[in-house]
Amino acid sequence: MAQPADLLYSKEHEWVKVEGDTATVGITDYAQNSLGDIVYVELPKVGKQIDQFGNIGVVESVKAVSDLFTPIGGEVVEVNNGLDADPAAVNRDPYGAGWLFKVKLKDASEKSNLLSPDDYEKIAQD
Amino acid sequence: MTASTDLRRTALYGEHVKAGARLVPFAGFEMPVQYAGILKEHDAVRHRAGLFDLSHMGQFMLEGPNVAQWADTLTINAVGTMKPMQARYNIFCNPQGGAHDDTIFYRLENDRWMLVVNGANADKMWDHLNANLAEGVRLENLHGRNALIAIQGPKSVELLQPHVDIDLASMKYYFCAQGNAYGRPAIIARTGYTGEDGFELFVSGDHAPEIWSNLLRDESANGLEPCGLGARDVLRLEAGMPLYGHELTEEIGPVQGGQQWALKMSKPEFIGRNVLAEQLERDDYPRIVGLVMAGRAPAREGYKVFLGDREVGEVRSGSMAPSVENKNIATALVAKDAATVGTTLAVEIRGTKHDATVVNLPFYKRAK
Repeated sequence: MAQPADLLYSKEHEWVKVEGDTATVGITDYAQNSLGDIVYVELPKVGKQIDQFGNIGVVESVKAVSDLFTPIGGEVVEVNNGLDADPAAVNRDPYGAGWLFKVKLKDASEKSNLLSPDDYEKIAQD
Repeated sequence: MTASTDLRRTALYGEHVKAGARLVPFAGFEMPVQYAGILKEHDAVRHRAGLFDLSHMGQFMLEGPNVAQWADTLTINAVGTMKPMQARYNIFCNPQGGAHDDTIFYRLENDRWMLVVNGANADKMWDHLNANLAEGVRLENLHGRNALIAIQGPKSVELLQPHVDIDLASMKYYFCAQGNAYGRPAIIARTGYTGEDGFELFVSGDHAPEIWSNLLRDESANGLEPCGLGARDVLRLEAGMPLYGHELTEEIGPVQGGQQWALKMSKPEFIGRNVLAEQLERDDYPRIVGLVMAGRAPAREGYKVFLGDREVGEVRSGSMAPSVENKNIATALVAKDAATVGTTLAVEIRGTKHDATVVNLPFYKRAK
């Protein structure tokens, strides 16, 4: 599956969509497929300051607990509460209904530490 | 993790690769953890039927006039009283009352048994049997040579019957028969590890791929799906069945693990008997209980369990349970005073305590 072209990516298989001074974060299709059926997502609380590439939560499949890293730093301004009742949305629609949280950017230059869709594609094919 | 070159492959490895299964190292073999997905496969077994490759499990043949008497000195359940073609769950203990392995005996003939042991324990158990060998007992190790294919789920009789020459509907639970599957010799047993009706087919590794692929070719349209070890673990946990290494270990024996129903203290002597008798007498041992979590966060192996502020034990297995209203269930080894059904305990998950209630096992029981 091709990576959406309007997103940036991390080596830890998260995506970022930057719009103005806010970024939406999720995990990639490759990540959700590798994890398998997702049953629980633990996200940072609204208002929390998080640092780029910091460990900020977990994504759990039936079998395993995986750490969640944020691809970008800032203040958490919204989390996807719908995932409490329907964590499988991350499997079904990782770039849409399965988004995880939104951050008010601390430093827009952090974007330069992220991967383009083409560069991420190379990682996700391994 | 072991390098893949060191891993063994079952006779069905090629079928798993063709089907696009996700393979993981398990008990020294490269085994399918999932095909289409754990939840989908779980649903197939609960409502239709699933097909499992369990060829990693150890199959030993025990033959000779003294097998029954000998095996009864090594195990907690009765071997000698088994009827021909009967199957019986049994546990081999160490002298401290812990479990070497939990197993199933199949009495194929008066003086011939098959013993099925856990894959991860196959080498240990083969050594244990040989170290304790007696006159009039001959052993043969078929581990990795014979295959084991299980079909599990409410449609098992319907989907398997057209392809075997045994009357499946009349076979009792925990009995077996020697017959043929697609014309190939098979020991067919009404046993399983999912909490559903089903059968296990012990066949030659040479015949396993054709039986496996024929079953999927003929019965996929009727609901049969290949299933991996991931779904099997959720199914067995819901059904309250122990998994060696979790609810039973060299330290956790059958009294603590909840297998007292299989413990025949009427047998005068067997390895571990003295310690088990003392445990029963004192009744103060930590024990395995079932937990249902109140919240959405799953309990996982190793998480600490509390009664109030006091640490009383740890989680041994945990999963989201589709057949228990999608709640998170777990087993935990806890102190006696924390083990009463209805008690509210707390499981510490990443530094936060989450409520859990002690419940009776099994979590799930199929409608008869």
